[in-house]
Amino acid sequence: MDLNRRELMIGAAAAAAGALASPALAADPVQIEMFFPVPVQGALAAQMQKLIARFNQEHADIVVTGAYTGSYDDTNLKTRAAIKAGKPPALALMSANFVREYAINDEAEPFDDLIVSGGSTADAFFQRFWTPLHPNARIDGKAYGVPFQNSTPLLYYSVDAFKDAGLDPERPPVDWGEWLAAAQKLTKADGSRVGLMFPGTYDYCGWLTSGLAMANGGQYYNHEYGGEVFYDAPSTVGALSFLDALVNGAKAVPPGVSDANACTTAFFSGRTGMMMLSTGALSFVRSGMKSPYKVAFLPKALRHAAPIGGGSLICPKGNSPERRAAAWTLVQWLTSPEVAGEWSRFTGYFAPNKQAYELPEMKTFLSEHPDAKVALDQLQHAVPWFDTFQVVAVRKAMEDQVQAILSGAAKPAEAAAKAQRAAEALLAPYVNQTALKSWA
Amino acid sequence: MRVDRLNLGLIVAAAGALLWATPFAWMLVASLREGLPIDIASLTPSGPFSLGNFRSAWESGPFLVWYLNTILMCGGIVAVQIASASLAGYAFARLDFPGRDKLFTAFLAQLLLIPPLLIEPNLVTLVHLRLYDNLLGVMAPYFASAFGVFLMRQTFRSIPIDYEEAAKLDGAGPLAIIFLILAPMARPAMAAFAIISVTAHWNEFLWPLIVLSSPSHQVLTVGLASFASGVEAGSDWGVLAAGTLLVAGPLLVVFIFFHRQIVASFVTSGLK
Repeated sequence: MDLNRRELMIGAAAAAAGALASPALAADPVQIEMFFPVPVQGALAAQMQKLIARFNQEHADIVVTGAYTGSYDDTNLKTRAAIKAGKPPALALMSANFVREYAINDEAEPFDDLIVSGGSTADAFFQRFWTPLHPNARIDGKAYGVPFQNSTPLLYYSVDAFKDAGLDPERPPVDWGEWLAAAQKLTKADGSRVGLMFPGTYDYCGWLTSGLAMANGGQYYNHEYGGEVFYDAPSTVGALSFLDALVNGAKAVPPGVSDANACTTAFFSGRTGMMMLSTGALSFVRSGMKSPYKVAFLPKALRHAAPIGGGSLICPKGNSPERRAAAWTLVQWLTSPEVAGEWSRFTGYFAPNKQAYELPEMKTFLSEHPDAKVALDQLQHAVPWFDTFQVVAVRKAMEDQVQAILSGAAKPAEAAAKAQRAAEALLAPYVNQTALKSWA
Repeated sequence: MRVDRLNLGLIVAAAGALLWATPFAWMLVASLREGLPIDIASLTPSGPFSLGNFRSAWESGPFLVWYLNTILMCGGIVAVQIASASLAGYAFARLDFPGRDKLFTAFLAQLLLIPPLLIEPNLVTLVHLRLYDNLLGVMAPYFASAFGVFLMRQTFRSIPIDYEEAAKLDGAGPLAIIFLILAPMARPAMAAFAIISVTAHWNEFLWPLIVLSSPSHQVLTVGLASFASGVEAGSDWGVLAAGTLLVAGPLLVVFIFFHRQIVASFVTSGLK
């Protein structure tokens, strides 16, 4: 409030000075910043700056400065600090599963009033986005996030390795039994090839684990309420046992924690037959993999499930109505079918806006890139992304245990129980204020 | 017997050097190989080699701007640090005032704080000073270095007081004593501190990332990450290696040219 008044006064003074100097400068464009991370390698930051330059050219009344802000975690840190310091960006591209925490902490402003004043409703507006994207964006009925770039995990496999191991490249593993068997067959005794690799690093680890637990019939966390996780539920313990069997039982996955670099490098050089990696890596794999490869749905246990990943646009708290309105114009432009489609083709992410796929460029692209088509078809099995109170810490409570299993230092049941206890301790402050509120 | 021991020492040292140099050698080799070669891990590939990765890294962003900003940032920090650490170090070493040692201990306690803890309060202060998204804002929190003050205090204390007394007899004031008598004698310690400071800030990522937003204010580390990090997909090792060499290059060149002086100042100052 205080700040707004000060800004107003400065603005008024500047306007007065401007009026004295040259009356023609009365309608200054609104200046806003947008924070954006770059989670996949390449010229993405440069491409985003090009998009922003195009937006600025098309909108004389708005000047957007794009600020590259590191990884999703760095972007979160910078946005939080900027809000606390009274310098919130008008728009931030946030990891989609951080949005709930911004809502819980009252650090973001929902877009509903802007949607309504544009003559629409939030329900109508959200119809353009794939349904599994909604739970991470619309928190407690309010539109805190607008999906911009999204991905799911995907099974990549080498055609040559499949043939070499006597597997049919036209018939990728469909369920966990076939998956384990294929991984075993692909593993060479001399260590020159493993069956499967996937990143076990923070963030990736939790994402993939949640996907396995949900494929195993579970929920993994309460999708509606940020205070509950189901780390020690049978569906999760079963998923951990499957990982344990792959790594320590069948020895078809290298022990320990690999990162995405190690996975792609091994995949390109034929040292792993399969890898489980984001659809956001499609462009990168396409350019790096010299021998034929294919992609397939994540195999199912009780059902297919592919957790959503990626980023949504949020408007941090503390922006003036003018800046919010300018940010909303930018949101609509960035998530329009044309721009969303262009970004999808450039990055490998799928376009959250379904209408993008009706454009002729997109139809041509999909017919030329069958791997992108598989990623899109898998969306029918997409499930929302893990989002809770203190999401990073609660996610790590499980990831530390999964990493211990991958290194052979823990067994599934105990690991699950430990993760659950740690997560509950982290969630307690929120739970005690909400679900366990004292009525005495 | 003695010769054997000498040889053994040499072998151990050589092994250590080899171990240390291998990643650098690999980075050099990888930076010269374009595309995504299958044997990217190899130290002795057969080629082809080219400078293409350096070109694509260089074209990925305004490197000249990033160099300039980084040099300004590191230079500004170290210049102010040396002045402030000399003055404060002198005060703690030589001036007698009540509560001096308690104040010094409190000052040293700064070293115990982990910097990320201070991100928010520091940023709030910067915004009040109107230094948000400003290189000066990145530098400001480092101007008073507890480590630098500690180092200068110890160094000044090790210089015999006779020099100062002689200068005083000749009519020198405290500032003349610090900058004309003590500072030149403390040069090795200052040089060692400057090297540590410049290296640390040259490589710093998080704090500049938090303070700076405009692309024209950005520094090398953040610039490198903007095209070379690929958490979700994987990295183009060649471009990553070339970009890293571009970032580390100036420091490496300085080290190669001045390594004798650099090693000497570390030995003299007792810092490692």
